[in-house]
Amino acid sequence: MNRKLVSLLVVLLTLSALLLSTAVSAQDKVEIEFWTFWGSETRRPIIEKIVDDFNKSQDRIVVKHVYSPWGDIWTKTLAAVAAGNPPQVVVNDINNVGLRASKKQAMDLTPFIDDVEEFSSQFFPELWKTVEWEGGIYGVPFNTDTRFFFWNKDHFAEVGLDPEKPPTTWAELEEYALKLDKIHGNRIERLGFYPLFGNFGRDTWMIVGDNGVSWLDDEGNPRINTENKVATLEWLIKWRDRIGARNVDAFQAEFGSQAADPFISGKLSMMVNIATHYTQIRDYGQHLNVGYAPVPEREPGTGHWSWGGGFVLEIPYGAKHAEEAFEFIKYACGPEAQRYWAVMNFDNVANIEGSYLAAEDPRLTPEAREVYELAVENMQWTIMTPVPHNLAGYLDLINPQLDAAMLGVKSAREALDQAQRDVEEFIRNAQQ
Amino acid sequence: MRLFRRMTIRQKEALQGYMFVSPWIFGFIVFTAGPLLFSLYAAFTNYDITSRMDFVGAANFRRLFTLDPLFATSVYNTLYYVVFSVPLRTACGVLLAVMLNQGVMFRRVLRTVYYMPSVLSGVAVYLLWMQLLSPSSGLINMLLEMVGIQGPAWLFDPRWTKPALILMNLWGVGGTMLLYLANLQSVPSQLYEAAEIDGASILQRFFRITLPMITPVIFFNVVTGFIGAFQIFQEAYVMSTDKGGPLNSLLFYNLYLWKQAFEQFNMGYASAMAWLLFVAVMIITLLNLHFSKKWVYYEGGE
Repeated sequence: MNRKLVSLLVVLLTLSALLLSTAVSAQDKVEIEFWTFWGSETRRPIIEKIVDDFNKSQDRIVVKHVYSPWGDIWTKTLAAVAAGNPPQVVVNDINNVGLRASKKQAMDLTPFIDDVEEFSSQFFPELWKTVEWEGGIYGVPFNTDTRFFFWNKDHFAEVGLDPEKPPTTWAELEEYALKLDKIHGNRIERLGFYPLFGNFGRDTWMIVGDNGVSWLDDEGNPRINTENKVATLEWLIKWRDRIGARNVDAFQAEFGSQAADPFISGKLSMMVNIATHYTQIRDYGQHLNVGYAPVPEREPGTGHWSWGGGFVLEIPYGAKHAEEAFEFIKYACGPEAQRYWAVMNFDNVANIEGSYLAAEDPRLTPEAREVYELAVENMQWTIMTPVPHNLAGYLDLINPQLDAAMLGVKSAREALDQAQRDVEEFIRNAQQ
Repeated sequence: MRLFRRMTIRQKEALQGYMFVSPWIFGFIVFTAGPLLFSLYAAFTNYDITSRMDFVGAANFRRLFTLDPLFATSVYNTLYYVVFSVPLRTACGVLLAVMLNQGVMFRRVLRTVYYMPSVLSGVAVYLLWMQLLSPSSGLINMLLEMVGIQGPAWLFDPRWTKPALILMNLWGVGGTMLLYLANLQSVPSQLYEAAEIDGASILQRFFRITLPMITPVIFFNVVTGFIGAFQIFQEAYVMSTDKGGPLNSLLFYNLYLWKQAFEQFNMGYASAMAWLLFVAVMIITLLNLHFSKKWVYYEGGE
């Protein structure tokens, strides 16, 4: 009788202990929601593999990836922050971290970082700058991009240029372009170069032309109508006038992507494009001999500047389990996850070690490794242009002036002078 | 319960009526009137959705009128669109309806064809039109070239962007056409017969009979057309470069409002803009109503 009672008690105790332990472990596991807009066939499995790897690497935190389309994700996040129940981690634009920080949309991550200097040294300094705002840290850079020079070696050989020697200055660029052009009257068969084809805009050429200074200098002062920028805009207009705006439009209208990409179809001999564009050449341009080099500089010594954008991981303001969320961010922005992202997407990533690991990764072909290494090296020339938190929207004052200059409504100097005045006034009003 | 029994039938029915519409009343108060009043208050604050909502008086309105050059641009663009779009759409709708009310061949097929665009949904149509309007390979410029006209660069030339959208939106005139068509059928045929006996020409019959008889529907379409045209947004959001370009020529009022609210988070400022638009459209509608007495003919009195 007694013994029966004891054994019954033992069974009951073990049962309850078991139940208790499972209950405790379920309670211990913290669930984290991670919102991204990476829902495409290529990107989704890659980010989900990173999430999966993190979930398996420890038994305290479970991250759930939630896909939200590009057009919705940030409005949704904003609404969730306003409602006080946001997801734990969100991918957001690298250029407006300060704005979101100032609006209390993102959380200051400083309390979770033991040694800021050590932590930040993992990332390219230009990228890290974008996440700092008034002494706090409001995100961790995840991925980025950079732009460099592509040239068709066969076209070079065909017109008697040394196929292994890309132009390194704008003067050489123009000289080579003229040799490579095949223009019959108004019909363009092949263009050596046109600055705005590929993936390099007017504002990025301004950075190259003005020795790496974008619209605003480091103190946030507008540097729009500098001599160098006026000269650069005039240079862009000169290209347009030489070929003819109408011809440029007509030629551009035939461009597509993949096999119809102008560079891959041999309609364009040189271009500046993002490093990731290499994958299109790899997949659709096997017949091409392509060289890759930094962007030609304005004059010897002015610098092979380039431009990049990208995304950061943030913890929305008011999110629960921020500490656990940061654990995941640390992992996703850490060398291993970043290497995986880099190799699978051929994207530039923010983590320096991850970048160099990717450049040596055996999953890439020797050629791809070489191109990727150039992309990593190119980060030293790559400028980021985050928008100061109180100047959101200032580009809306510059873009119309650039339009006016390119359309010939105003001279380059008039347009940039006006833009400078408008932005100065905008800043004065913003400070009121 | 006792109270309910003491009610008259009328009172009971009224109560029941209110009960039946109560879900709607609840929805209206919570989801429409509430946010509406909230945005009215927000218009006088520096509300940015997440961090602040301090009363700033009329500062938003002052800034709109004195410090913001893009506000004036957006007002100009919107007025341009309204001034050309509303009359054109009305005229085309009436003309189309009158033509398809005649005994033309394939009348049913044509009616369907003209109505079809109204069924298609926005963004897909805009993407299609971007291809049609492409400067060198677009169908429109190719057709123009056939008759010897070198077409403009449409969406890339700031002088042609707004005309391009106005012309494009004529394409969707089938919806209003349908209303006119229905109205035309109810114009009594003896009026035409009498006029014909009196020797009235086709044009006279159109201006003296047809047009006056359908003025109530024209009036309705003009009022809703004004309201709709002032709210133009999607077209520019999808089809412009850099959301409003080139040269800010497609920066319409609502697009600028949207940019202020959701790109720069100036929700207070955007609310001020929204209320300003509301007041402007209200005034125009009241003016419309006022002047309608002079030209709208209601059969059998008002």
